[in-house]
This record gives sequence, structure tokens and C-alpha cells, in this order.
Amino acid sequence: MPFAFEKNYGDYIVAALFDSADEPVVAIADGRVAFPDAGAEFAAHPDAGILSAAIHPSGVGLITGGDDGRIVWTTKEAGPVEISAHKGAWLDVLAVSEASNLVAAGSGKTVYLHDLVKKDAPKVLEHPSSVSGLTFDSKGRKLYASSYGGAYVWFARLAQQKPSLLKWAGSHTNIAISPDDKFLITAMQDNALHGWRLADSKDMRMGGYPSKIKSLDFFAKGKLLATSGANGAVVWPFLKANGPMGENASEIAADESSLVTVVSGASEDTILSAGLDDGRVWLAELKSTAQEWIKREKGAAISALAMSGEANRILIGDEDGSVYIYEA
Amino acid sequence: MADTAPVSQKTPVTVLTGYLGAGKTTLLNRILSENHGQKYAVIVNEFGEIGIDNDLIVGADEEVFEMNNGCVCCTVRGDLIRILSNLLKRKGRFDAIIVETTGLADPGPVAQTFFVDEDVKAKTYLDSVTALVDAKHFDQALAADRVVKEQIAFADHIILNKTDLVDGDTLNQIEARLKGLNPLASIQRAERSGVDIQSLLNQHRFDLEKMDSVANHHDHGPDCADDCGHDHAHDHYHHDHGHDHDHVHDEHCGHDHSHDHHNHDHINPIHDTEITSVSFSTDKPINGVAFTRWLDKLLAEKGQDILRAKGILNIKDEDRRLVFQAVHMILEGDLQKPWGENEPRLSRAVFIGRHLDEAALRTGFNACIEK
Repeated sequence: MPFAFEKNYGDYIVAALFDSADEPVVAIADGRVAFPDAGAEFAAHPDAGILSAAIHPSGVGLITGGDDGRIVWTTKEAGPVEISAHKGAWLDVLAVSEASNLVAAGSGKTVYLHDLVKKDAPKVLEHPSSVSGLTFDSKGRKLYASSYGGAYVWFARLAQQKPSLLKWAGSHTNIAISPDDKFLITAMQDNALHGWRLADSKDMRMGGYPSKIKSLDFFAKGKLLATSGANGAVVWPFLKANGPMGENASEIAADESSLVTVVSGASEDTILSAGLDDGRVWLAELKSTAQEWIKREKGAAISALAMSGEANRILIGDEDGSVYIYEA
Repeated sequence: MADTAPVSQKTPVTVLTGYLGAGKTTLLNRILSENHGQKYAVIVNEFGEIGIDNDLIVGADEEVFEMNNGCVCCTVRGDLIRILSNLLKRKGRFDAIIVETTGLADPGPVAQTFFVDEDVKAKTYLDSVTALVDAKHFDQALAADRVVKEQIAFADHIILNKTDLVDGDTLNQIEARLKGLNPLASIQRAERSGVDIQSLLNQHRFDLEKMDSVANHHDHGPDCADDCGHDHAHDHYHHDHGHDHDHVHDEHCGHDHSHDHHNHDHINPIHDTEITSVSFSTDKPINGVAFTRWLDKLLAEKGQDILRAKGILNIKDEDRRLVFQAVHMILEGDLQKPWGENEPRLSRAVFIGRHLDEAALRTGFNACIEK
């Protein structure tokens, strides 16, 4: 299948994202950040590894968290610039807020919260247990951290505070918030999702997955949540006031021989793509139920996937370091 | 799917336990400083103790998580799952992983992590749980903390360390007591943690395929509640019998689970009951269906107290040996290589646990022998 771009970077692709100008950027496990369109490549974390990545709140370039304890901003023009360093920390979770110019990076039980405008010393947020995922609400006022026993809620601007806890027993391993800030969803160690309606903290359990859910993506104007962890992409509806409560999920393009490892949907449309553990990638239009394989060749498991803002390009990365760009 | 990857493609993990002062740090420093041509990633609980500068030393928090699957003893190390999944993105940097636990840690959750978490299971295998034992302070440590017995009971390899600080009779006595507590583990003597590194790593001690024998000792120490139930009468029956043992993998989690009990202190409230081991053997064939049913029921009911179990069984009308091992309620079993032509087909099973009812276990085992 002809791809607009194809290259092997030689190490695990940790993240593949489009920035606000639809510029593709990839984070490689050996510490490099690459810009496929520009043909540029930078050692953002020399002699170290990248564990987490997100587009910078300005929309330009990539912020990465490394096993060298450094948070680095890499742009194709200026290359890597260090935002901060926390010796000995493995920064394996990262979230940014465009609205409030905040960057939160977590290592174990500690989250460092940076204000990119003030550029003062980061706030240090301590948790009773390791943080597995971070997300800001749409205004960047609150920071949610998934952990053992539930999700902790912090006010991003408050100097001194104790977090509140959205409690649910078990180990929560990932987190996402609906774009309208109404629902918080976590993935659990026990192959299920948990959800809270934030207005009243009402619990939701969304189960039935055969494997762990590592990828969560709200798409189609926030009306749908796509998830990995099953033979097909499992899509939950958030069309009504109660969100997915009482609703059934749809499993898209289930294939018995493989598991979906990563999902990415169009922010404005009912277009969804999914990467599989056997290296294949499909693209589907949910309304017409049309589905096509955009990467039919099997190979290493897909580890990163992103759809451009215009939904006309798909960026694919796998565990062996291959990166592909598909153009519709 | 993923866990069918051959062992050779998985990264071996050695878990190192041992009470405070037993010599873990000395051993780790030796492993990291010796030029043995292997690269190790080491997960430690206290950064400062390791004297070697190495970018593959990772600090851990020893966070023990309960699963929501209803099984109260299915605890895992949550921090370890995260660290391992991150480490495995950099596979080319190391050949093997060593996990050090604190001297006070129950080794159960660490071991269970390698059987319960699907990602960890798909990409790594538990190579060995090695316990260091301080010969000089053996009695004090046993008296001070029940976790010392658990560490010994969980191990498949024991390094009896600081042998230069006690006399030969004491050493023999300690070794006999170690064997009584844990007849499954091999014992190696050492001074100042001086063991051949090659003998420590890549041992495949949890690999069903490599389990040729289950130690069948007659060397009873004072901690031993062992009684080997040999029965030398020969008895052969033949009838067709379909065995469905191709891949036994059960997680015996039939308990009811409520969502508000996650604050309790420890997986087992009964702390002070002595840990013992019992082993059984027979040269008569075993009824595979009956044995599987008995073992399933036993682990479901008593799995909290059974720390480790291992066995190799001669199943009636089956040329291959059935091999099983269990960590608490987590059971793995498989038909492995055929018995040798002239090899005595001896079935053996060993259970290590707290307040084991030896008579009931024996009755259960004997009921599975083909009449």
C-alpha cells in the first residue's frame, strides 16, 4: 500500500501526534523526537528514553517526559529546549492544557505542575499511590489523576490544597475526560472502564473487554468515546445527558485474530481509525459503516496512532520503530 | 494470543528477596560491577544503597494492589507493572531484569505480578525467586518477622550467605531447616554474597517445560512436616480416557468481592501460623481429571494459605508428564515432554503453606490415584 511517508526509526514509537498546524511529530523510545514532514530529528533526551509525550499548549512542537527526569519542548525550528529537570524521576505520564498553559508530568506518586507563562517553580502534587494518567478539564482549571483506588482531583491554580478523591476500588491505569467536562473515564487493570458523571460523582461501570484498555479517545465532537482492548474498536455513545449509562457500546470491525491496541478518531467527525496488535490499521466511517484497511501488511504491534485535525492524514507508529503516514 | 510467544523472546526476570542485612545490596553491586557480558536493568526499592552508577537502575515504590476480580489473594505490584512496561520499550538496552524487594516485603505479590498481568506475562517471564538467608542471624530473623519464612517458602533458590561466620554443624542444621520449610528450592552456600552470577540468572525455574524434577527430599529438619507418601505396589489398569489437559490455566477467583474493603492491612489476617511443607508421591498412575478437580477445589478454598505448589504427575494412559505449579490461587499446568523409556514414572506433588492440613491433603492426593 503506498504511504505518503514511510521510515523506520529503529526503536519503539512511544507517541505519534499532529500539532495544531497538522504537522506530524513522533517520540521515539531512545530519546529522539522526529518531524517526518520536515525530515528533522533531534536528540531531545540524549542517552535516555522518552516515556510520555503531548503537543505543547501553544500548539507548536512536542513536550516529552523522559527517564532522565527531564521535561523537554522540541520544535522543528529550535530543536529541544529543557522546561525542567527532576533528578531520578521517570516521567511516564504527561498532560497539557492549551487553555491555561499548564504542563503536568508525573513520576510515581509525584506530579510536577508547570505554569509555562509564569515560569515559576513547579507545584509538587503528592499522591498516596502512583499516578497512571493525567488529564486537564477543557478550561485547564482542574487536573485529574488516575491512581490506585480512584481518581484524584486538583485545582490547577490553588497553591495549597488537598485533592479530593473520586473513589472506586481497584487499580486505574489511564484517564480521559469528555470534551464537555461532564464525564471522567478511567481504564482499569481488570479489563474494564470506570466512569463518573462529574456533576454528581455517579459511578458507571463499562466492562466486557477481553484485555487491558490502553487507548481512550473522545471523537465526533465528544459524542463518542473509542477504546482499545477488544477485537474491534469499542465505541461508547455520549449523546444523552446520562452519557453511556444504560446504553450499549458498539464494537467496530471486530476481527477474531487480533486485538485493537490504539484508537484515534476525527475530532469533528464520525471517522475512526484503529491500530492492531498484528500491525494492521483500519479506517472506518461509522455512519456509512464503510471500513478499509489502510495498512494491511502485518508486522510489529501498532503503538501510536493519530488522525490530523482535518482528518485527511493518519500517522502510524509501531513497536519496531516504523512510522507511516497515510493520506486520504 | 500474546502469551504464546516463546520463552526465548521474553525478557527473564529474577526476583531477589531476603531479610534486612542478608546481603542483597552486596549481591546487586557484584552483579552490576562484574564483567559477565550481560546487561541488567535493576529495579530497587532504595536508590542510594547501590554503589554503582548505572542508568538502568530504577526506583520502585512496592505498591501492592488488589485486583477487582474477586480474589483477595490476587495481589500484584502495581508500580512494577508500570516500570516493566516502560522498560520493555527499551528492550535493546538490557538482557535481563532483576527486581529487588525490601527485606520486609511479602514476595507473593511480586511473583503473582508475572502471572496475573497480561502485558508483563506476554513480554517477560519469572526466571527465579532467589532468597538470601543470613546464616549468622538466622534464628533472630526467623523470630523477628514471619516474612522471613514467607521469603524462604516462596523461593526456588536460596543463597545461604555469611557461611564464614558460623561453624559447619550450624550450617548443616540451618540447611536442613531450610529444606524442611521449602523442599522445592535449591540451596547454595556463599560468603559475602559471593556466588557465580551465571548460576543465579537464566535458570528457568518457573518454566513448566524445564521442570524435570520436583525435589523429593528425605532430609527432615525440625521445621518439616513432610511425609513422603510412597506406595510401592504396582498396579496397572487400562481403559480409554480422554484427558483434557492441553493448557490448564486457571485463576481461581470465585470469591465475592465488595468494593469497600481495600483498606485492610494484609492479604492474610492469620499471621503467626507456622509455614510448613508437605509432599506426596506415588508410582501408581494418577487420574488426571480427578486430580485437576481436586487441585482446583483445593486452591479455590485454601489458596490464600498455600504459598507455592509444584508437581509432576504420571497420568494414566498418557505418555507425557503433567506438570503444574501454583502461586496462591494462580495455577499453571501443562502436558510436557514424554517420560523416558526406562524412567520410573513417579508422581510427586509438593505444597508449601500456612497451617496445612496434612491428613486432608494426603486423603485428597490418594483419592486421585487410579485404583
